[in-house]
Amino acid sequence: MIKTLQKSTWVYLFTGLMLVLLPFFKDERWFLFLMIQIFVFGIFAMSYDLLLGYTGIVSFGHAMFFGVGAYSVAITLDRFEPSFMSLLLGIVIAMAVGGLIAFIAGILTLRLKSHYYAMLTLALANLFLVLAEKWRSLTKGNDGFTFQIPELPGGLEDHRNMVIYLFCLVSMVVIFFGLKRLTESPLGKILVAIRENEQRVVSLGYKIMPYKVIISVISGVVASFAGVLYAISIRFVDTSVFAIDMTLDALLMTIIGGVGTLVGPIIGAGIIEFAHHYLSELSDVHWIFERWIILFGILYILVVIFFPSGIVGTINHKLATRKQRKKEDEQSDKLAS
Amino acid sequence: MDLFINLAINGIATGMLIFLIACGLTLIFGLMDVLNFAHGGIFAWGAFVGVWGYSVTQNFLISIVLAVIAGLLIGLITEYLIIRPVYGNHIQQILITLGFMLVLSEFIKVVFGPNILAAQKPPFLQDYWLVGDVTIIKYRAFTIVVGFIIFVAIMAVLKYTKIGLIVRAGVMDKEMIQALGVNIRLVFIGVFMVGSALAALGGALFAPSSGVAYAEMGMEFGIFAFIVVIIGGMGSVPGSLIAALLVGLSNVFMAYYVPSLAMAVTMILMFLVLIFRPEGLFKVSGVSNK
Amino acid sequence: MTNTLLKLEQINTYIDQFHILQNVNFEVKSGEVTVLLGRNGAGKTTTLRSIMGLNSALSGQIVYKDEDITKLPAYKIAKKGIGYVPEDQGIFYDLTVGENMRVGMRQEDEATKDRMEWVLELFPDLKKFWKKPGGQLSGGQKQMLSIARSYVNDNDLLLIDEPSKGLAPVIVEKVIESIEKMKEKTTVVLVEQNFYMASRLGDSFFILDDGMTVHQGDMKELRENEELKRKYLGIA
Repeated sequence: MIKTLQKSTWVYLFTGLMLVLLPFFKDERWFLFLMIQIFVFGIFAMSYDLLLGYTGIVSFGHAMFFGVGAYSVAITLDRFEPSFMSLLLGIVIAMAVGGLIAFIAGILTLRLKSHYYAMLTLALANLFLVLAEKWRSLTKGNDGFTFQIPELPGGLEDHRNMVIYLFCLVSMVVIFFGLKRLTESPLGKILVAIRENEQRVVSLGYKIMPYKVIISVISGVVASFAGVLYAISIRFVDTSVFAIDMTLDALLMTIIGGVGTLVGPIIGAGIIEFAHHYLSELSDVHWIFERWIILFGILYILVVIFFPSGIVGTINHKLATRKQRKKEDEQSDKLAS
Repeated sequence: MDLFINLAINGIATGMLIFLIACGLTLIFGLMDVLNFAHGGIFAWGAFVGVWGYSVTQNFLISIVLAVIAGLLIGLITEYLIIRPVYGNHIQQILITLGFMLVLSEFIKVVFGPNILAAQKPPFLQDYWLVGDVTIIKYRAFTIVVGFIIFVAIMAVLKYTKIGLIVRAGVMDKEMIQALGVNIRLVFIGVFMVGSALAALGGALFAPSSGVAYAEMGMEFGIFAFIVVIIGGMGSVPGSLIAALLVGLSNVFMAYYVPSLAMAVTMILMFLVLIFRPEGLFKVSGVSNK
Repeated sequence: MTNTLLKLEQINTYIDQFHILQNVNFEVKSGEVTVLLGRNGAGKTTTLRSIMGLNSALSGQIVYKDEDITKLPAYKIAKKGIGYVPEDQGIFYDLTVGENMRVGMRQEDEATKDRMEWVLELFPDLKKFWKKPGGQLSGGQKQMLSIARSYVNDNDLLLIDEPSKGLAPVIVEKVIESIEKMKEKTTVVLVEQNFYMASRLGDSFFILDDGMTVHQGDMKELRENEELKRKYLGIA
């Protein structure tokens, strides 16, 4: 078991290294930007997976954490001088507010059936959307606003996109391993047990509410951070960060990539972002590509019905059964000889 | 006073439209324990089919009937393809119906084009009546009457007919009703289709009153309907009427006096209910919220 | 063979991963009251639920009137003329007594109406509470309603699960009387812990223990077999 874990860790690290080197070979602006989007949404989708895949909580308002993160950092950088101190302050505010909202939503609804959390978060996200539209003095309403990010020292400023690329990549890798540690810790095990059979965990004497709230908070904080990265990478923020589409994107990425795997959401993010990019371009060829979301909607429904564990989950399962079969074959060979 | 009555009528009319979506949702939830997040999509389909039907036939009644038929059909398809594979699994239900919602909305754009459609009121409902100082817009009065008739009809069916009793009994104890010789699956499909048809009717009535039909209205009103169902109590038809009127009235009044808070007031209502009375205003025995 | 109404052969039933019934066999003769006895958790309720199709058996065969009903859904089994009075009575709380009765009717024809009148004579209390919601009835009234609801259909077999549970002796007596009357019309499978009731009504018995049929015979035999009673029923 430990050996296989190490193997997969090496694979992840190797892939990460390849991604570090990638922009030195292909540094067109649109490509870097696409990759940054993938990293940002990879983080966002991982935070979603933490809820859905590891704890069985469905959130329909995940966009609000994302949006809170984006607006926090944007407003801080806009109001104060665009220094690294302001950036840091913005990030701290983003994560604190995100965590607080997740905490409140959690204690209100996690004691109820799953759809209450879904509904409450949906409603909350809507409230934030309205707030962002109406509180014009702070958010400039529907138009949104651009802002400056801190200038990088020395010659790095010329390679700003590259630096942001690397920063987002490193953030994603660090968060990935952090969350992986978390899910493999005793806390993570309890969460999975809650997802599988809540009653049994209760009867074993665990109070499940605190665990669910903790995970809701961690997820909210990570999602806020994804929002921070998003805002920094495009240096612009508007109310679309609170839109239900953001949540739906995270949902699609998580489901198609594979719930409960952490790698899945990242792969899902890659697929969706690339598809978004290329399929939209294909709309001249056939109108269906302009409505590419239909294809993904149908794919998503099929995945929920037939491969509830997504791409990565299904592959893992296949590998596991193959390994098992191999073992059995070896054993029977031994017995035969 | 004039203004107050006008706003009140407007609010009740809005509430009735929301009720039409919410009552199907609440019945489907109560009986089948299924949360159908695609319900709003059927509302949007009803709106588009109604608008299209009216532009083709110039007959309001036929356009409504077409919308209702579309609702029945989409309901059947939804139950058969989407809900059936995921009975008993809440999380999968939420996920899959939300996905279907996306597909329904996008399909509207495929069939009717991506643009907003303008919707007309039929000539006989275009004007208003003057009662003393109060102007009553005919179409709003019409909406209120239709909503009220539907409510009374649903209540009468649930109260006095055998099938209504079976539906109510099924909400409380699915197993026992089967042990009494009722094929609950057929009842499920029927309720699902009727609930969907009501949503489509709501959409078909909504479009002329707002003057437009757009694909995103499904999501918007689907959320409204869910909030109403939560406030009213999952599974309760009178609860969803009261909650729908409450939401309709508070929205209209807020939109007039404090426009920026119009949306927020609905959410705040839901928060209060969730905090102090998570089972909703009208609790239905046998439906748990845990 | 001709007067066997119901036969269970090698029935195995699981609830989740738990193997509740393990090769249960028994036979119910037409016109008799067969009593299922055994300790708590022996599998009596599950046996009734398996017959009713509410926990379908994984393997084995349930034959009713020479027809295999093992895998049929519950509603089809009910339509074949099997009535069920569950342990928790299965009353619909928000429905009135009258509505509960009406929901229970598989047909609304003359014969059913006649039976309804007969049932109401048997349980005059129900008439008194006709418009009262089922949830507001006392335990005894609920039990009577549940039994009455099963009598109203033209059933050939009644499955009654612990009707005496939690009831006052006076009401138990009433329930016994009603089952005695019903016995003339249909066959009954009765799950009962109350040995007094079981021995008054039963013609034959089966004892379940740990999900297996361990003993069977005539009720008369059991009344005299002190050891059997002590071993499986905890009655001295």
